[in-house]
Amino acid sequence: MEHDSEDLTQRVEAHDPALGLRAAGALHRLAEQVEAAATGHARRQGWSWEQIGDALGMSRQSAHTKHGK
Amino acid sequence: MFDQFTSSPFVVVVTAAREEARQRGAKRMGTEHLLLGLLHETGSASVRALGVDLEAAYAALEELDREALHAIGVDVGDLAPALSAPARTAPPLTSTAQAVLSQAVKNAKARTRDIDTVHLLHVLLDRKRPDPAAELLARLGVDRGVVRGRLQERGS
Repeated sequence: MEHDSEDLTQRVEAHDPALGLRAAGALHRLAEQVEAAATGHARRQGWSWEQIGDALGMSRQSAHTKHGK
Repeated sequence: MFDQFTSSPFVVVVTAAREEARQRGAKRMGTEHLLLGLLHETGSASVRALGVDLEAAYAALEELDREALHAIGVDVGDLAPALSAPARTAPPLTSTAQAVLSQAVKNAKARTRDIDTVHLLHVLLDRKRPDPAAELLARLGVDRGVVRGRLQERGS
């Protein structure tokens, strides 16, 4: 694990800072896409907002506010 | 702040930019979204001077994201990293986007009473990397000098 994070630091530092910052933004946008799709899937499978919130590391209320229709 | 310009092409562009930022799930509306907003005005002096279209800009943003991810060793396959789940409301402006808009309005007032989107384009053309709009223009292969020349021809 320690080794991996060193490797990541090296990769980031091998490039212009703009690249690493853009990668962080892109990962964040991707995570949002995955979260929205997975939440929709879970709801259709009968998961409660509480279960979804637990899985996403947020409160039931936050999960519902963010993804509820 | 821009209420007095409602229905001007300028406001149409800013509205399109905010919608782009919302649709793309951006946390903030940045200068790259202002550029996308300009590109929405198909056939406008700004778009003709730029010589690129919205589709090319989307593709360029996608490419930039892919390259950035690749640089840190992430391969997202056929997923679209430049996009995100659309937000419910338009995000707030980055401080740079705010400054760019203020500058465009100021320049427009100094020259004419007409808030033209061309003033916004001029300010965006002056941005330097790592500004997101500057990155996007560079990736699109836009030659700033050529674009400024085209704008000038139009103005004279």
